[in-house]
Amino acid sequence: MAVFVDLNIRQTSDKNLLRKTIEIAAHLGYSTIAVNYVIEFQDKKQNFIKPIPVNDLFNSLPIVQGKSKPIRVLNRLTVVVSDAVQCIELRATSPHIRLYDIVAVLPKTEKLFHTACMTLDVDIICITVTEKQPFHFRRPPVSGAIERGIFFEIIYSHATKDSTMRRYTISNSLSLMQICKGKNVVLSSGAEKPLELRGPYDIANLGLLFGLSEGDAKAAVSTNCRAVILHGETRKTAMGVVYTMKKNQTLLDKEEDEVTHPLSKRMKT
Amino acid sequence: MACHERMEDDSGKYERIVHKNGSSYHYLKISLEFEEDTSIRLNSAQFKQLIISSLKQLFGEIGAALPFDVLQFEENTLSAVLRVYNRDLVKVWSALTLLGSYQSEMCAFRVQQVSPFLLALCGNSRT
Repeated sequence: MAVFVDLNIRQTSDKNLLRKTIEIAAHLGYSTIAVNYVIEFQDKKQNFIKPIPVNDLFNSLPIVQGKSKPIRVLNRLTVVVSDAVQCIELRATSPHIRLYDIVAVLPKTEKLFHTACMTLDVDIICITVTEKQPFHFRRPPVSGAIERGIFFEIIYSHATKDSTMRRYTISNSLSLMQICKGKNVVLSSGAEKPLELRGPYDIANLGLLFGLSEGDAKAAVSTNCRAVILHGETRKTAMGVVYTMKKNQTLLDKEEDEVTHPLSKRMKT
Repeated sequence: MACHERMEDDSGKYERIVHKNGSSYHYLKISLEFEEDTSIRLNSAQFKQLIISSLKQLFGEIGAALPFDVLQFEENTLSAVLRVYNRDLVKVWSALTLLGSYQSEMCAFRVQQVSPFLLALCGNSRT
């Protein structure tokens, strides 16, 4: 059986809170979670945040309920783009991107949504859930994204907080489902606090409310998320086949090396 | 309606029991969680009212009218066993999932087990 994954636990500066949230996620039965770092380019020069290493958070990772294995913690970057210039940061050769396992993008306009679906090298495209969908989903970009193996993410934690947000969440996801027919959708929490998390089976059930079929809803918390993680891994490889790393390097050195020496140019895929 | 079928074999006797429409109910074992330093206490009537109001928030008057029963409620742990009709399961469950606050305090329903058989709730198959 596929394991459950929550690809969006919001990073907070409060380490204790983050730790507690991850513990609860493990308790609820998520085998893998991704800590989400959000970047908005509102004020011209916002710096990229370096992800906190997992060892800083935990001495020993919490055990997943019913699995007797420790939880796996990934790092994910979400870039909110409202201008085409900002997409330049999302090149695969960008040194910041390589620090993260998963890269997501939240496009604010229809044009950016189109570029995100068709050309940007990302794993996830977030769907706005806090306001009315600013543009209509059209079939060509959505089917283009599905063909490229990019997934659409719907965040549910806002729906638990406020009835207006709940309405937007449901209506935006229904309008997405009309176009993508339930394919390539992931459901994730976007939780900052432990009480905003829900169990994986609850979310699979909630998927029915968002217009997914029973099978698609379960895939949205398990197999689709796995596909996202694998899609993210292929970014560090050549055509998803070959992966190179220098010999005799500890993982820590490697990370430092990546920052100082960015990747050489990669063939266009 | 249960259908019994006896299969006799050299290696021993087997009995196959097939349940069709085994139960018209589903049972949910749930618990309500608050933040650690809360002073909120609920009795069973308030608990049921909370579920009804969450149904009403999500599905309106039709949702509030869905029949369900609280079979068991423990005040200390705020855990309960609900009985709902099969056709209402998705609605009740999603209403529980989307409940986020009670008296402007954050809370969350944790659904521990869902089963069409009440007996299944006495043990936990996941640990």
